[in-house]
Amino acid sequence: MAGLVVADHLSKWYGQVIGLNDVSVTVPPGITGLLGPNGAGKSTFMKLITGQLKPSKGDITVLGEPIWQNPGLYNRIGFCPEQDAFYDRMTGLEWVTALVRLNGVTDTEAAAMAAKAIDDVELTEAAGKKIGAYSKGMRQRIKMAQALAHNPELLILDEPLSGMDPIARRKSIRMIKDWGRAGKSVIVSSHILHEIESMTANILLINQGRILAEGNVHQIRDLIDEHPHTVHIKADQTRALAREFLGHDDVLSLKFEDGAVVVQTAKPDAFYARLTDLAASGAHGAIHEVTSPDDNLQAVFQYLVKS
Amino acid sequence: MSQPARSAATTPGMLPSAMRIFDLSLGQMLWSRRSVFLGVLLGGPVLLAVVLRIVDTLHASGFKINGAAVGGSAIFGMMVWLLFIRFIVPVLGVFYGTSLIADEVDDKTITYLFTRPIPRSAILLGKYLAYLACTVLLVLPSVMLVFFLIVPTGGGSIGEAFPSLLADLGMLAVGLASYGAVFALVGTWLKRPLVVGLVFAFGWEPAVLLFPGYLKRLTVAYYMQALVTHEMPQDSAVSVLLQVFHEVPSVTTSLLCLAAIITLTLWLAGRAVEQREYVLEQ
Repeated sequence: MAGLVVADHLSKWYGQVIGLNDVSVTVPPGITGLLGPNGAGKSTFMKLITGQLKPSKGDITVLGEPIWQNPGLYNRIGFCPEQDAFYDRMTGLEWVTALVRLNGVTDTEAAAMAAKAIDDVELTEAAGKKIGAYSKGMRQRIKMAQALAHNPELLILDEPLSGMDPIARRKSIRMIKDWGRAGKSVIVSSHILHEIESMTANILLINQGRILAEGNVHQIRDLIDEHPHTVHIKADQTRALAREFLGHDDVLSLKFEDGAVVVQTAKPDAFYARLTDLAASGAHGAIHEVTSPDDNLQAVFQYLVKS
Repeated sequence: MSQPARSAATTPGMLPSAMRIFDLSLGQMLWSRRSVFLGVLLGGPVLLAVVLRIVDTLHASGFKINGAAVGGSAIFGMMVWLLFIRFIVPVLGVFYGTSLIADEVDDKTITYLFTRPIPRSAILLGKYLAYLACTVLLVLPSVMLVFFLIVPTGGGSIGEAFPSLLADLGMLAVGLASYGAVFALVGTWLKRPLVVGLVFAFGWEPAVLLFPGYLKRLTVAYYMQALVTHEMPQDSAVSVLLQVFHEVPSVTTSLLCLAAIITLTLWLAGRAVEQREYVLEQ
């Protein structure tokens, strides 16, 4: 079967800076994770496959067609960008409806499609609120809603879990997996290996503008355990959370930063599972945001490049 | 590598797409910080008109320039030319026209529009139409207020002057359309469009209009002059200025040239948006 995205000796440079360097890759249907630290070329690759940038060299086709200056193809693609940018004065429903209208559907259809997409991302109750009043997790989900509202074949999600709280993160991972099971293809980028791994085993590893590896890369998953993983948690009761974390062997260190507790763990999977349970139980107050700096992955990449 | 076939999927045409962008953008423009600035700018002539009206009511002898009585209609004509045509309309054109796409790029919301099945040039066209509607909606009421405050001074008749008000409103709409299109092109082509736009409107245009020759034809103001309908008071500074600018084309020629300027600059701006890559800073 032909690839969903086919890049042939694809390069992109910005003046003297190389964003992507001679990449040849075929992304198969299904869910594919694009994994790499910040500055690795993920965003450049995402912008090329969404037709926002023109290749400096080489070719790229999406769903069998060139994407640059081919607006018709956006009927079949939904894109959730990384940037936290909105028309803040609009409500979630108004915003998604206005964007779906650009797909050429009638006003009634657009309103129905927007409402369904918002329901799919479990934001119906907040649909009438101004986006400016949304939490980070809600903003991420409304971005996903605008990407899937017109029922595209291919969803392209750029760092969709960034900044979400553990429960929203778990819900979003479940949603993405459901879309995959429903026959949609998804390309999702992240700098957090275990996040991608929880959605798919099919991973593209990118670093310094090159694809380092592609396919099922479970073997590198083990490497993560050899490198401490840092998690930044914004919560109401950071000290209570810290006390809870200290009771577990995998927690290597703890520190406090402006309403957040920063934890280093040797077993990220176990840690995230406990964190999600804690958030769900509400035992130590609300957990607002969980982020992970990309130096975790950077350490793994450095290891890979050296070896 | 052979080039694959392009998508045959139905996409909205240029005009329907532009109208949907218009719907999306009009509210954003009307409630933007720039519109607050516009409101302040448009309040100036109204405030001036109120002051003149109060002075006229208190003294009841009308206004005089060099000893000659000046009617309210002539004062209104001066205000339309000097304040609106030569200042407010170019300022609005510069500030709104250069930012049609730039605002979305700065706010990083352009991605949502560029990844929809519509031509990129339709985004520019829709935003241009929204600019036109927004500025016309705000400028015309200001001009009408000035008209009703100023024309009755010195015994002027609103009824007699009303046809010229309609002509003035039309002229202002043409001015907004022309300057907006020119500066939309500047905004899509250049990296510092605001500076270039201001230099064009308040440096280049006034300068070349003072000299004989063909250079003045490379301005919007040259063609706008032909659309001014008011008789100006003799021996006034404005009259002197108009004498300097005396060489004006016919109304028909001006309208045709302005239509050509609008069409050409919008087409070039649309092509620039279609072909340009917008790299959003992370």
